[in-house]
Amino acid sequence: MSFKHYGSRKSGSVGWLLQRITGIFLIFAMVGHYILMHYTPETGHSYEQSIARFSNVYWKMFYLTFITLGLWHGLNGIWSILRDFKMKSWLAITLYGIIVISGFAFWVLGVSTALKF
Amino acid sequence: MKVTLRIFRFNPETDSEPYYKDYEIEADPKDRVIDVLHYIKNEIDGTLTFRRSCLHGICGSDGMRINGKNMLACSILLQDLGYSDANKTYKKPIVIEPLPGMPIIKDLVTDFTDFWKKYEAVKPYLITKSPPPERERLQSPEDVELIMEASKCILCACCTTSCPSTWSNEDYLGPAALLKAYRFIFDSRDEATDERLDIIDTPNGIWRCHTIFHCVQACPKEINITWHISKLKQKLVEREI
Repeated sequence: MSFKHYGSRKSGSVGWLLQRITGIFLIFAMVGHYILMHYTPETGHSYEQSIARFSNVYWKMFYLTFITLGLWHGLNGIWSILRDFKMKSWLAITLYGIIVISGFAFWVLGVSTALKF
Repeated sequence: MKVTLRIFRFNPETDSEPYYKDYEIEADPKDRVIDVLHYIKNEIDGTLTFRRSCLHGICGSDGMRINGKNMLACSILLQDLGYSDANKTYKKPIVIEPLPGMPIIKDLVTDFTDFWKKYEAVKPYLITKSPPPERERLQSPEDVELIMEASKCILCACCTTSCPSTWSNEDYLGPAALLKAYRFIFDSRDEATDERLDIIDTPNGIWRCHTIFHCVQACPKEINITWHISKLKQKLVEREI
């Protein structure tokens, strides 16, 4: 068993706070999503109805926020779990890189889809 | 009543692996676990090794895992473990193990070296920079109330060794050190708040706490450690923004 000096590198407080703020947003967003998409038949799931929703500026803003905060919350959560485990720095950097690159790729994909209509 | 104690045994000088040994003894429901351990050591097997000192829940020496839970052997009666009938022979053994997640020196004695290093890391002493007053540094009753619960910690390590975050990352500061950090950060006389906040705001510091509450369940002094850690998190966020 080894022990490392803890140093004075600041980390975590902003991420911790944002994780909670985005979590609260996602609770409401997910509940809203379920009510509208799964329990309100008139919302509609057809292509035309989906396009109409995406063309609405408020829906567009909601989807862009949802994509951004949802991705950030999920990936920051994964990174937070990974950091609970002791790992070599090359592995930590690799995993962090995968998370950042995949997060950015998914964000571009989501945003470009939402902005198409 | 008759009870069996199933005790974790390991002597690194002679054993290649740990094992459990059963001791069947006559005991009273009002005996403490430490009493029956003493009986075994004094009357049955002198090689059994465990720590204890004050025997009154103050020194924190005899923290161990009893029936799967971290607790002080001197502060738990056999009847508290469900062995309450003086005329019965209990088949279910009382399982006694060392505190988990620590290197074992022998039997129930664990190596506290890392625990103390983490404790030292948060600077567990009053730091003042202003000149000393003529008499003592005074505190209001409200100031004392703020750190009263945290001051009750006896450093038995029951909390830190019950924390899954500590199990997965041995470099994590752990609840006991964080509680000690709280005790001085929220002490109105202390003048090293930022210094200590810097120490706990690190990758292996406070953010590895995920409010699992095992520390609260394990604490023999019933300190709400998670609440104190949450207050530290709030303090860090307030400082950051």
